[in-house]
Amino acid sequence: MRRGLSNSSIWVTVKASGISLALAAAALLCATAFGQDSIRGANGPGPGDAKVAKLAHPLIVLKDENGQSVLTTGKPISTRQTCGGDCHDYEFITNSFHFQQGKTEMDRALLASHGAPSFNTSPGMFGKFSIIPNRQLTAADIKDPSDADMSQPEWLTKCGGCHTGGGISEYDLRGHRFLTPEAKPNGPLDPSYTIRDRDTGQVISWDWQKSGIAEADCFLCHVPKSSRGERKKEMAAGDFRWANNATLVDTGIVVRQQNGTFTYNRAAFNADGTVKPEALDISDPTLENCAQCHGFTARNTTTIQPIQHADIMRGTEKSGWIYNGAKISDTVSPNIVEKEKMDFPWDAHAAAGLICIDCHFSVNNPGRMIQEDPKKNLRYKPAEEDLAVYLRRPDHNFARGDIPPETVNLAKRDTMRACGDCHEAEKGHSFLPYKSTHLRSVACQTCHIPAVHFWAYRSDDWGFVMDTGGSRITMRGIEGSIVDPESEIRGYLPAYIPTLDKNNIQQIRPTNLITGVYWFDKSKGRPVFTWQVQNAFYAGKAAEGEFPYRPEILKAFADKDGIIDLPQAVYDTPEKIALVKGLLQKYSGVADPELRIEVVPWAMTHGIVGKKQAVRDCAACHAKNSMLARPVDLNSALPTGVPVIYRGKKLNVVNFSTKEPSFDNRVLLNSFYIAGFSRAAWVEWLGWLCVAAAILFSLLHGAIRLLGGHL
Amino acid sequence: MNSQIPLYALHERMWHWLQAAGMICLILTGMAIHYPDRFGIFGSMANAVRWHSWIGFALILNAFLGIFYHMTAEKYHHFLPRMDDFTGAAVRQARFYFYGIFKGEKHPLDIDPRHKLNPLQKITYILLLNILLPFQIVTGVLMWGADRWSGTFARIGGLWVLAPAHTLGSYLFLSFLIGHIYLSTTGPTPLSLLRAMITGYHVEEEKTQ
Repeated sequence: MRRGLSNSSIWVTVKASGISLALAAAALLCATAFGQDSIRGANGPGPGDAKVAKLAHPLIVLKDENGQSVLTTGKPISTRQTCGGDCHDYEFITNSFHFQQGKTEMDRALLASHGAPSFNTSPGMFGKFSIIPNRQLTAADIKDPSDADMSQPEWLTKCGGCHTGGGISEYDLRGHRFLTPEAKPNGPLDPSYTIRDRDTGQVISWDWQKSGIAEADCFLCHVPKSSRGERKKEMAAGDFRWANNATLVDTGIVVRQQNGTFTYNRAAFNADGTVKPEALDISDPTLENCAQCHGFTARNTTTIQPIQHADIMRGTEKSGWIYNGAKISDTVSPNIVEKEKMDFPWDAHAAAGLICIDCHFSVNNPGRMIQEDPKKNLRYKPAEEDLAVYLRRPDHNFARGDIPPETVNLAKRDTMRACGDCHEAEKGHSFLPYKSTHLRSVACQTCHIPAVHFWAYRSDDWGFVMDTGGSRITMRGIEGSIVDPESEIRGYLPAYIPTLDKNNIQQIRPTNLITGVYWFDKSKGRPVFTWQVQNAFYAGKAAEGEFPYRPEILKAFADKDGIIDLPQAVYDTPEKIALVKGLLQKYSGVADPELRIEVVPWAMTHGIVGKKQAVRDCAACHAKNSMLARPVDLNSALPTGVPVIYRGKKLNVVNFSTKEPSFDNRVLLNSFYIAGFSRAAWVEWLGWLCVAAAILFSLLHGAIRLLGGHL
Repeated sequence: MNSQIPLYALHERMWHWLQAAGMICLILTGMAIHYPDRFGIFGSMANAVRWHSWIGFALILNAFLGIFYHMTAEKYHHFLPRMDDFTGAAVRQARFYFYGIFKGEKHPLDIDPRHKLNPLQKITYILLLNILLPFQIVTGVLMWGADRWSGTFARIGGLWVLAPAHTLGSYLFLSFLIGHIYLSTTGPTPLSLLRAMITGYHVEEEKTQ
């Protein structure tokens, strides 16, 4: 549909979703702010190209923190001034979990209600302990320097590449905006104003004047050519104020100079100071925008880079999902073993053209929101907010599901468009008896993700630190290195666990299991921090990238050549555990260390296959050797006799009697009776005893009659 | 010379054989459900479930037709044990099965259209038709209706209660079936009782003097 607006021209291809309508209205809204002369939309797609919803966002002026054009001042871009101000409600937008990551949920009662361990300070990554980084944000009220792990500035240098500014990088833990008169440290250990010095190990002050503040990085998601890699460099260097500029390096608007400073490329700007639309191209988040942080995602690519979009592939690393519309059989790289047998897409939804925001939309977007309210028995609830209100205050608490181990912003769980919101499963699945029971008890993904054809994390052990300073990591589904495109990728089969659905009904779903081994400080009631483990293992600082192990460690763990590699870095005897326990007490001041195993299920939600590839064989689940109870290898080197943690509780889900320690989900599946698979042992014994007695009686009785000649 | 005693009417024989066929089919489909990987004769577990349900309902219908026939034809008394059937007669019958039959003794009960069942049969059928069969019907129908009346199904304990109960009942039925088939060979000749249930007549050899 082509629409003319007085002297301006805006090309908008209307998609039924309404997002384009929203964007068109945004143009209208912003026209007021910038004047109609500034409304010169980019050349969008032509009418009839309904697949593309292209936005003609009004032209914008990039402003600095004082609201002046950066082209004039040369200062860093302030999104608060550029995107906020007259157009979008910056405070509202950044007060959402994508920006806060738990900062607004630092409530111990809330955590307790989720069953979260008490040492977590929030349910999001900003405060939650996770076995993979083995790090945690330092609590706000610590008194002892040994309780300091990752301060707020360090968190930003490590995690700020993805976590896009706003709340966590603008406000301290008490809610004061950095660099304002109110923002002052609350003592020498205040984690918002300190960092642990890598060389001395001492907690020292952080210079916020020098680093500046990282405001919300709107560009990372709304500019197709944004660069998370460039952004990450700035965050890692502690140069927060320029991080948003770095994101725009690939657009040609910003130029990184050889000395590391940033300048603006005047050629990317119009004469009136607005940015040329083809340079910025503000739009809905594309698959590639989301992929920068969330994993391998592409509409249709046959080459999957081992390391795509810099260095993190969150969803892919954790459960091996590839959201890609291309057929697996067409994959050119990496090396997928037996790909010729997989003549189907990596993901059926990607092949159908769905993008992330089709399901994970802004929950108050009138064009996308689920307009029903089951609690009020309403199948249709008209949007309460006007489109203009949405454009000013788009809710960035994106619609989400409720899958383990995600716990951030649980108040918004199950807001996303789930399978049943699009598919009428009851009308299909004619082959399936007890349709309602199956659809209620078995997540769609269980049959529609029968296998993962990529690699994923298998284990990450911080109980033993390697000489690189890092953990002992193993992957599943690949033979070789994940960055080598020649490595053979064989994929893996999921583990199945019961989880609660939105109606509080237990449902079986597929997961990848990541097992961690780590030290827990029982005297403090929290995990032992990585720096403490390193103190126990290393005799000094790293030289040429290698840390020197203490003699005690070398004596106990090294092979005859004095080398500790993955095979040696294991706790295979109680004596080795006791040795490291002693070192932690001696060198790290950990009063009561305890080695623990934690098995973390990462739910699979992408990599969906269509009905031809889905599980249809009843015996797959119902037979004695059901896939649901398949022993999934966890880690070839798990210590025995140590507590096993599963979803925050001590629960032994590890079977050590198999060749390699494997996941034993029998105790979890006890809540399900699966016909053909489940057995009541006494019934089987008694039943077969009766049958055997009947047969035996008949045979004996008949034989005696026969022998006596009285048959 | 042989004499033929009319023993089983057509209705009774049809009822019996339909019941027998139904039970065997239910046991086979039940095995396919209970052991889906080892007993795949029905193609898939889903097919076995469907057949099991249909045959189950057919058997229920047959059971009701049987009740109707036995009530209207006033033949229910064959199944009603007298007090003596629990005591002296039962002991005599048991003694025959465990001793007399090996000595070639005469069956304690003469074959008579008015007394078709021996005391142990009466006791067995009382238990089978009044307890085990209804038990299987109730547990089976509740499981069949798991999707239809899920609340009731869950309140009873769901599959955790119903499936093992139904399975145990099935084992008991299978045990009965084995015993029943074997005991059908304990007539004057191994096949005489079976023949009677097919033709309706019991053939008795007349004694020659």
